[in-house]
Amino acid sequence: MISMSTRHILLGLLATGPSHGYDLKRRHDERFPQARPLAYGQVYTTLQRLVRDGLAEVDGTGSDGGPERTAYRTTDEGTEELARWAGEIAPPAPFVANEIFAKVVVAILSGGDPARYLSAQRAAHMERMRELTAVKAAKGADLATVLSADYALNHLDADLRWMNTTAARLTTLTAEVDAA
Amino acid sequence: MTSLKADLRLAFELTRGSDRGEWWRVTLTATGAALATGFALTAVALASLRGGHDVPVAAGLLDEPGTRAGVIVSLMLLLVPVLGFLGQCARIGAVHRDRRLAGLRLAGATAWQVRRIAALETGLACLLGSAVATVFSVPVLLRLWDRPTVLAWVGIALVAAGVPLLGAAAGALALRRVVASPLGWVRRLGPRTGRGPGVLFLAGVVLVGVVTLVAVLSTSPAAPDRPYAGPPLMMVGTVLAVGAGAVWLSGAAARVTGRILAARARSAAALIAAERLRDDPWAAARTHAAVLLVTVVGGGFTGVRAVLLDEVRTGKQLAESPDYYITGLDLTGVAIAVALAITLSGLAVGTAESLATRRRGLAAQVAAGVPRAVLGRALLLETALPLAPAVLLAGLGGTAVAAGYALLTGHPFPWAAALVPVAVYAACLLAAATSLPLLGRSVRPAELRYA
Amino acid sequence: MSRPVPLLSATGLTKAHGRSPALRGASVELHAGEILAVTGPSGSGKSTLLHCLAGIVRPDAGSVTYDGRRLEDLPEKRLSELRRTEFGVVFQFGQLIPELTVLDNAALPLLLAGTGRAEARARAGEWLERFGVRGQEDLRPGELSGGQAQRAAMARALVTGPRVVFADEPTGALDSLAGEQLMTALVHTARDAGTAVLLITHDAQVAAYADREVQLRDGAVAALGVTA
Repeated sequence: MISMSTRHILLGLLATGPSHGYDLKRRHDERFPQARPLAYGQVYTTLQRLVRDGLAEVDGTGSDGGPERTAYRTTDEGTEELARWAGEIAPPAPFVANEIFAKVVVAILSGGDPARYLSAQRAAHMERMRELTAVKAAKGADLATVLSADYALNHLDADLRWMNTTAARLTTLTAEVDAA
Repeated sequence: MTSLKADLRLAFELTRGSDRGEWWRVTLTATGAALATGFALTAVALASLRGGHDVPVAAGLLDEPGTRAGVIVSLMLLLVPVLGFLGQCARIGAVHRDRRLAGLRLAGATAWQVRRIAALETGLACLLGSAVATVFSVPVLLRLWDRPTVLAWVGIALVAAGVPLLGAAAGALALRRVVASPLGWVRRLGPRTGRGPGVLFLAGVVLVGVVTLVAVLSTSPAAPDRPYAGPPLMMVGTVLAVGAGAVWLSGAAARVTGRILAARARSAAALIAAERLRDDPWAAARTHAAVLLVTVVGGGFTGVRAVLLDEVRTGKQLAESPDYYITGLDLTGVAIAVALAITLSGLAVGTAESLATRRRGLAAQVAAGVPRAVLGRALLLETALPLAPAVLLAGLGGTAVAAGYALLTGHPFPWAAALVPVAVYAACLLAAATSLPLLGRSVRPAELRYA
Repeated sequence: MSRPVPLLSATGLTKAHGRSPALRGASVELHAGEILAVTGPSGSGKSTLLHCLAGIVRPDAGSVTYDGRRLEDLPEKRLSELRRTEFGVVFQFGQLIPELTVLDNAALPLLLAGTGRAEARARAGEWLERFGVRGQEDLRPGELSGGQAQRAAMARALVTGPRVVFADEPTGALDSLAGEQLMTALVHTARDAGTAVLLITHDAQVAAYADREVQLRDGAVAALGVTA
């Protein structure tokens, strides 16, 4: 999901003014603290594609005494594309890729122990939720951190609830899978 | 008619499915109604007598219109503590009942239906009490009196039907706010009784007063040379004034005591008691008003009795045998004792109800480590604090009446009268203390469970 | 490395309500300054476990030890004193006295401990401020929102500086934002004061505020969560 919209997020960051690739990476990681950090290479290739598509252009090259850096700025077309994307609704999870469910079914088919797997998976989820909560509840945490942690927490919580109800209905599921 | 039948059925089902508290309310309300009916029936039967008769009880006190009027007045006065008692009974389970009826309203019942159901609930309990009292009273009456007059029968019928009707009306009236805003009431944390009950109590006292006046006037038609209307009118006026004053005094004393103590309280028990008083000073006004009336009347009577007994024993110019007078005095004393007993029962019921309503909060207090002794002390202080200034004032009033009477007749100061308020105060504390064992029983961790 | 002695521990707790068993041999440990979540489905015995640990009810069998003292050996009077000096309790709702002002409610435990009224009110005010209940000290609990009432209840539970706070579904009646504010305030205060917290909840997002999780199932501990 992150990779899907990296170009738009970079366009958004460029909307505040021309910026270097390294700057963009740093600002991205700051603003979206719970997202997967961007690799510098990814930033670089994405910027080149934006230039190729006419959504961004090179602003200038400078070195400020350090290594040489290229600054980029957004084009009118880029501003338009950004406005279109920002207003577009995200499709509500059209295909659920549920790895946990797949593992439960496979465990039943191969004579494994789905209950044990669910219990361990639940403990792992709780551990991640504790980490995220610690980040969120830390003193002086800014709202962006709290909100992005909340987003992840709510998704993990949804998984957890699904695991709880599934664990309680494993007997019926086993019978159904075995019969099929 | 069909809708009335449906409402009746619903009222019955609601009562049947309710918890122990509701059954207590029905039983106590029926008892109160039975007492009221009994007093009123006797008064009506006596009031229907005309002129001199030979009544084979009470040492001839009932033979003459004059003394008979006195007995009627005493009987009607006994209705005042009974009203206080009934008012206290109405509070049992009031929070749950209000929620339930508001729930009915939310479920689509019209305001009228809810009122009718509530009226039926109270009215049926009163009907039960009134029926029992009537069934027991009429045979007694027939044994004493071969052929009661038509007037007596009409009076009996009126009382037997009137008590449940009045009960039903009071039940419907008490619900006016629930009916007005079902949602608001469901979400309220508890009842704030306001001055309504005090007004209701006063209305009852006024009714009793008017009926007494009529009864006394009709039993002894005023002769041209003996204008009889004066003294009874004055007496009714006095009772009304004292009753109104008592309700007001009790409520005001509670509020002022609460306000003063809440700011200065040093212990947790005093603080809790004071804040409860400040929050709802009129809650106990009815019972406390009855306590005050009993104190005034009891104090005055004790003094007057001492003086009169003295007179009777010294045997100065008596028209009748000493027995006649002593029986009269004793009967009055019994009436006052009965009034005190009824009042104390009302007080005990009120304290127990206040505990039962708050049991969840109390359980949380105990769980948080508030010692039961502190909660017990707070409970007693709630009764003791507002009552102290009021009883003191009422005691002074009663003693003043007794002292004035003694002074006028040239007798020594009746010390017994001054002891009455002390005894009444102690009895009130004891009555409130009867609910302390309930504190231990109702404060259970099970109350903390929300599931 | 040997584990330190727990501040509060229970072994083999059994308790029945009438004929239905609520706890069947539950054992749990709470260390000083630790935040422990007890989770489990409805009817798994969470509340009963809290009541036993806090000395509110006595278990039918098993033992609770607090700071070297066995609670079952203490008389009710000492238990009650322990609850108001060393423990704090917060329930889902209903623990504030409706007739007292918010400030007096928070000051109540201090009054019970014999602190003067003025000092008790001053200290209660500080705690209310710490929990973000400002400008509402003179209101009655009925005039507060659910979240404010729960924060006031938390302030009251912590005002005596207890070593353990027991919280039974403290966010149960709150929306998620009010619940988050309450839990953040609780965690910060408990960490600053070194107070241990036993937190009962059925909500994983609330349980995630704890250092550790214990799951109850049918009155016994089902699995120990991963230690942080």
